[in-house]
Amino acid sequence: MPQISIIMPQLGESIAEAAIINFLVKPGDHVEGGQDLIEVETNKATMTVTAPCGGRIESFCAVLNESYAVGDVLGKIEATKEEAARFGLDLPTPAKSCDTDTEVISKKSRNATGSRVEPTVRGLPVPANASGASYMSPRLKARMHELGLSAADLAGIAGSGAAGRVTVEDFEKFMAHLDKQKLTRASSMRVAVADAMRRSWTRPLATVGLPVQLDPVLAHRKTCEPKPGPALYALRALAVALAENSAVAGRLVGNNIVHPSAIDVGFAVEAEDGVLVPVLRGADKKPLKELVVRYNELVELARQRKLPADATGGSVATVTNFGTFGLIWATPIPLPEQTLVLGLGAGRKMPHWDEAKGQFVPVMEAYLTLSFDHRVLDGGAAGRLLLRISDLMRQPEKL
Amino acid sequence: MSITYLEAIREAQAHALRDDPRVFIYGQDVGAFGGAFKATKNLQKEFPGRVLDAPISEDAMIGLAVGTAIEGMRPIIEMQFADFSTVAFNQIVNQASTLFWRTNVPCPITVRLPFGGTSGSGPFHSQCLEAIYAHYPGLVVLTPATVEDAYSMLLAAVAIDDPVIFCEHKFLYYHLKAEKLPSEALPIGKARIAREGRDLTIVTYSAMVHEALAAADELATEGWQVEVVDLRSIKPLDTDTVVASVARTGRLLCVGEAWPWGGVTAEVIARVSAESYGLLDAPPQRLNAKDTPVPYHPNLWAAHRPTARSVAAAARILIRF
Repeated sequence: MPQISIIMPQLGESIAEAAIINFLVKPGDHVEGGQDLIEVETNKATMTVTAPCGGRIESFCAVLNESYAVGDVLGKIEATKEEAARFGLDLPTPAKSCDTDTEVISKKSRNATGSRVEPTVRGLPVPANASGASYMSPRLKARMHELGLSAADLAGIAGSGAAGRVTVEDFEKFMAHLDKQKLTRASSMRVAVADAMRRSWTRPLATVGLPVQLDPVLAHRKTCEPKPGPALYALRALAVALAENSAVAGRLVGNNIVHPSAIDVGFAVEAEDGVLVPVLRGADKKPLKELVVRYNELVELARQRKLPADATGGSVATVTNFGTFGLIWATPIPLPEQTLVLGLGAGRKMPHWDEAKGQFVPVMEAYLTLSFDHRVLDGGAAGRLLLRISDLMRQPEKL
Repeated sequence: MSITYLEAIREAQAHALRDDPRVFIYGQDVGAFGGAFKATKNLQKEFPGRVLDAPISEDAMIGLAVGTAIEGMRPIIEMQFADFSTVAFNQIVNQASTLFWRTNVPCPITVRLPFGGTSGSGPFHSQCLEAIYAHYPGLVVLTPATVEDAYSMLLAAVAIDDPVIFCEHKFLYYHLKAEKLPSEALPIGKARIAREGRDLTIVTYSAMVHEALAAADELATEGWQVEVVDLRSIKPLDTDTVVASVARTGRLLCVGEAWPWGGVTAEVIARVSAESYGLLDAPPQRLNAKDTPVPYHPNLWAAHRPTARSVAAAARILIRF
């Protein structure tokens, strides 16, 4: 009588393996086609493996509490020829694929391929398949290159290969699945931002924040014509602070810190479906009232997406005014070629304890954030820079 | 009617003797005795004066062959065992292989090497020497895996103007049978897809083709479709067919009965890695005999050479990578 394999089924789209938690029948039992045989547990839910056809359970080669990949043989059912044919399973059967020898081989190969990761540190379980797209085969890379995809695009794929790597088969399945969903073309600007962010994210980034009183700035801007925005005060303060110590805006390349050659500071302007970063050249050398004209001009050009070539790139740091979106706090990501990005949150009326008056008084307050490449500077240096900027903003007339 | 691999080799020699008066056979006991394996049985009777017994000196046999080739003959030399061809190594790799390149005189000799292991043959009657001959420019090295190829490739070998090392596997002599001899064949230098598949490419040749096919049968019951490429000719090597197969499957396992060091399997992997790195979804692997002399004891011998079982085990690891 033919022996039909009980196979670990595809239990879900992103599931590569499941652990045996309970056998519902014993070898020798008679079962119907479709009857529940084995309870298995995936990282999402408990499910059952059903009988491929009716017959007598010949043996189970799966072991309780062990994990098995989708497609692995878990046991055998002895079925009549007619029954096997009825379920379309009347193919030649393996001579002996459930005997001890094969079990040893499959065990060995499982270990060799390392599909299960055993924790090496007590109390710190290492989740299996956590490495995801960490290893990409040459073929996978070539295929991604062909389709214009990058490693970050693979994050959503659960790999079925050794150590959870994404095989080309996993990848093609994922791509075929995407075809069934609504796809819109990302604008070239979106793609450019994505690329810059991905490159930037290869570094260890950290963010520190500090509240700053905006009242002096707001009072000062009323005396100016044209009126500079609070972000420009922050930009000028950053430029002045960097002129005092430019090393913190340096870039780490190998064993060297590359110091900025000029304090050119960029600022983020939201344009359709992306962000542009026009640059104020020599922002440490020109007073605020000179900068404001050029600043307004660049904002307008950026919104029209007509920035001249000399007004973009080559800046040492960027200022982003996320307060314009009503946000109080954010952790912006510095551009890949920069170490620092200064953020300014929305201004809010906050109670401030006035020692002289012995009471709370309302002040306008906003958060300054500084995100930085932790390889170049530490929290202390970032904090000192931020304090210096907030000091400078308290005396706007000196900017 | 059914014909064995060995009978096909005899028939090809009879055919060559019949077709071309320049052809003659020279080897130890090839005459009245009909050869150590009876590959020249009755040929001396059929073609008197053209099937000649040689002294027990392989060196002299190839020397004579090169000399007659210079005079326009097309000799077929039978080595009793491939292992003994090393006695004639100087004549083959220094004289025969370089003759045309030195003198512009072709050297159309065919050296038949009964090679490869059979149970109990031991270290001096089992060796696979295709790789060392393939190392030398000027030689053509053929390794037929089927009765049809044994026949048609031996005919092609005699027709080729270069010296040909014809590696005929002793394990296949009596086991392998075909219904009839072929009337047409793939050209020399072209590999054959022995079985189609999409999950893994096994590149192999000679007797190992049959181990690979058996492994593919076993893996098919587990749901894997394995493609088997029979190289047929070691030199020239059909890289295009191999690369095209790897393009379909993304995974490569090379299987050879010879030792691993500097072998044909290594050469195939080097070519695929260099020419089509971007097709590989897993590190290419090879499976060869163990790097020791071939053991006598049947059990040791079975553990020494790749078998369907060990090929399937290696394939499973690669498929699951």
